[in-house]
Amino acid sequence: MKAGLSPVQTLNAHPDSRCWFVGWSPSGTLLASCGGDKAIRIWGREGDSWICKSVLQDGHQRTVRRVAWSPCGNYLASASFDATTCIWKKKNDDFESLTVLEGHENEVKSVAWAPSGNLLATCSRDKSVWVWEVDEDDEYECVTVVNSHTQDVKNIVWHPTQELLASASYDNNVCIYKEEDDDWECRATLQGHTSTVWSLAFDATGQRLASCSDDRTVKIWKESPNESGQGDLLWKCVCTLSGYHGRTVYDISWCRLTGALATACGDDAVRVFKEDETADPDQPVFSLAAQVTRAHSQDVNCVAWNPKEAGLLASCSDDGGISIWRFQEED
Amino acid sequence: MENWFHRECVKPVKVEKKQGKSVAKIQIEDDGSYVQVNQDGGKQKLEKAKITLNDCLACSGCITSAESVLITQQSHQELLKVLLNNKSSATEQKVVVVSVSPQSRASLAARFDLSSGEAGRRLTSFFKGLGVHHVFETSFSRTFSLLESQREFVERFQRKEQDSKSLPMLTSACPGWICYAEKTHGEFVLPYISTTRSPQQMMGSLVKGYFAEQQGLSPQQIYHVAVMPCFDKKLEASRPDFYLDEAETREVDCVITSGEVQKMLEEKNVSLNDVEPAPLDTLFSSVSEDEFLKHSGSGSGGYLHHVFTYAAKQLFGEEVKELTYKTLRNKDFQEVTLEKDGVVLLSFASTYGFRNIQNLVQKLKRGKSPYHFVEVMACPAGCLNGGGQVKPLPGQNPKELLQKVEELYMAERPLSPEDDTRVAELYQSWLHTVGEDRANELLHTRYHTVEKMTNGLTMKW
Repeated sequence: MKAGLSPVQTLNAHPDSRCWFVGWSPSGTLLASCGGDKAIRIWGREGDSWICKSVLQDGHQRTVRRVAWSPCGNYLASASFDATTCIWKKKNDDFESLTVLEGHENEVKSVAWAPSGNLLATCSRDKSVWVWEVDEDDEYECVTVVNSHTQDVKNIVWHPTQELLASASYDNNVCIYKEEDDDWECRATLQGHTSTVWSLAFDATGQRLASCSDDRTVKIWKESPNESGQGDLLWKCVCTLSGYHGRTVYDISWCRLTGALATACGDDAVRVFKEDETADPDQPVFSLAAQVTRAHSQDVNCVAWNPKEAGLLASCSDDGGISIWRFQEED
Repeated sequence: MENWFHRECVKPVKVEKKQGKSVAKIQIEDDGSYVQVNQDGGKQKLEKAKITLNDCLACSGCITSAESVLITQQSHQELLKVLLNNKSSATEQKVVVVSVSPQSRASLAARFDLSSGEAGRRLTSFFKGLGVHHVFETSFSRTFSLLESQREFVERFQRKEQDSKSLPMLTSACPGWICYAEKTHGEFVLPYISTTRSPQQMMGSLVKGYFAEQQGLSPQQIYHVAVMPCFDKKLEASRPDFYLDEAETREVDCVITSGEVQKMLEEKNVSLNDVEPAPLDTLFSSVSEDEFLKHSGSGSGGYLHHVFTYAAKQLFGEEVKELTYKTLRNKDFQEVTLEKDGVVLLSFASTYGFRNIQNLVQKLKRGKSPYHFVEVMACPAGCLNGGGQVKPLPGQNPKELLQKVEELYMAERPLSPEDDTRVAELYQSWLHTVGEDRANELLHTRYHTVEKMTNGLTMKW
């Protein structure tokens, strides 16, 4: 059987609005979405279908751009255009607002939890990246504010195992941050994209980083060992996927179970790429394994692989909908 | 982290509109210049457009519209213009006074491998060689700031039961902090901020008030320049509160940074090492036998040190010989406490840098701040690390340079503000004779909430 993406379900998640983001809980049993209607929705399985379990409506005064699940699955962080980040605590099937993090000067574009669960990163159109620390009393304090980008910071992701952070910006660069002395610093600037970098994804081990851009390409970066072990880190672009995407690539997700790459594109399509097993690891080769050209009726904003169920993929769009897909490999 | 809250102007380039359908993209290069990338890939560098103050204020594209304009109005070229004008015109001569901060002196001393005192003597000589009439230094005026801060704290402490916003008292000498507080937190935080003037503006009062009168000059006949470790001091000098309406002149006319003094030396092809030292102008300088005197405590003025020591004595009769600093979350966040019989009598902190200021204000907002007093500075490591200090030489480690500057600054002999007889004299002969209101104007200031200018049209996600 040929590899393919088959639709499992579509959800009219954020009616008359954009759905900006979908993200699976760490257990893979819940899906969080958020959008232009200022709401966050939690979806869960009931039998064979996904239904809306709860709606978090009053947390923000403007679009909710992104939501992040804490590694333990008990907390949600939501980033909003209202310049705040809200922390929610799970209470049975619902979530209650714990605290609101202020400080960014304008729209918060993304939020992400570090693998330890103790640190949270946010980024904003104010060009800065903030790292926050949470203590045992659920109190958040600012650890650092880094201004390495010269434009809007679209996204941030944490390394899967280390306390290392990567950010993507309208300034076409990717920055990598590490804690040095008693502050965080940009230790590498990855240049290569010729337009806005919209999203990032580390592979399962964190040795490679995928980025996607308005320049319609996906790049794979790999860290090369630095002899001295000190100073700047060296990341090189080892692969560029071009010619596949008709428009801006808005999001990328790297499956930790199968190594498959999924992309969300402004040409309304969802695509899956698989790595050629026989290629040199320092010169990886990815090929298009499946695509759905009209996955949505408008721009696809986000894609996310389920962390526990191999092949299960969620996507969402400007059309306000969420689609759930099953990727089947070739027999 | 200099200028961490200033937004860049969105209109810095002029694009020649060409006929036809060529689609060009504007790109920012690594060096900050703007290029137009044509469809064929060809690049053209775009000229910087000059913006008039009116265009700037009308745009509201950036929140700090007028500030970048104000900053460029004060430069070392302006000082040179005034000096040139003095030489060439018989009328409208200005008496030029330069007030050098000890942090700037230490920064220049580090660049030229001199002691801070040696650098000061040579700077005096250099400036006078250009035509400057008097060279003072702001440790002198800082003595007033420290004395006033001490008294203000005790007064606030004594009314803390009646006034919920009297404590914690937050220092006010850092204009970066003040601008941020006025713009971002406004009415909430302003009541906590000390009204005591900064050393720069105290010097403004001294030079355009006392000195002018003494010399039989009107305030606008004096051109007062301050040499400071950062650019935000330029904004402080341009505050309307420091403008003398009647005399139509600013108390500090121009602020130049340590780096700009370095540039002046370079432009004249002069090294401080080659300049003959000159005797110091002692009128408004803290000197003893031609050596500078410093204040104990931090390189940002020693506010925590002095207020703590004074308050311990005045409020609790405790003589503090040495302060024990405890480093908290990071080295820019430190705590000092006075305890007796297991009870905390005084709890003071110093918070430098944006991240620590964030946490301070958020805690204050939640009613969870444990402090009576906080020394707040916008720059990590404080004023010695200001954004206007002389930059490291190629290959020079910035951390090592900072350490060198700190050592040179700390090497001077300390003088307690209470022991400065000349300052005490000025309180007697000048401040106590002008009446309480006038004295208050000369020694204190006020703050204003700045409304944010957010314009929906400038949004782009």
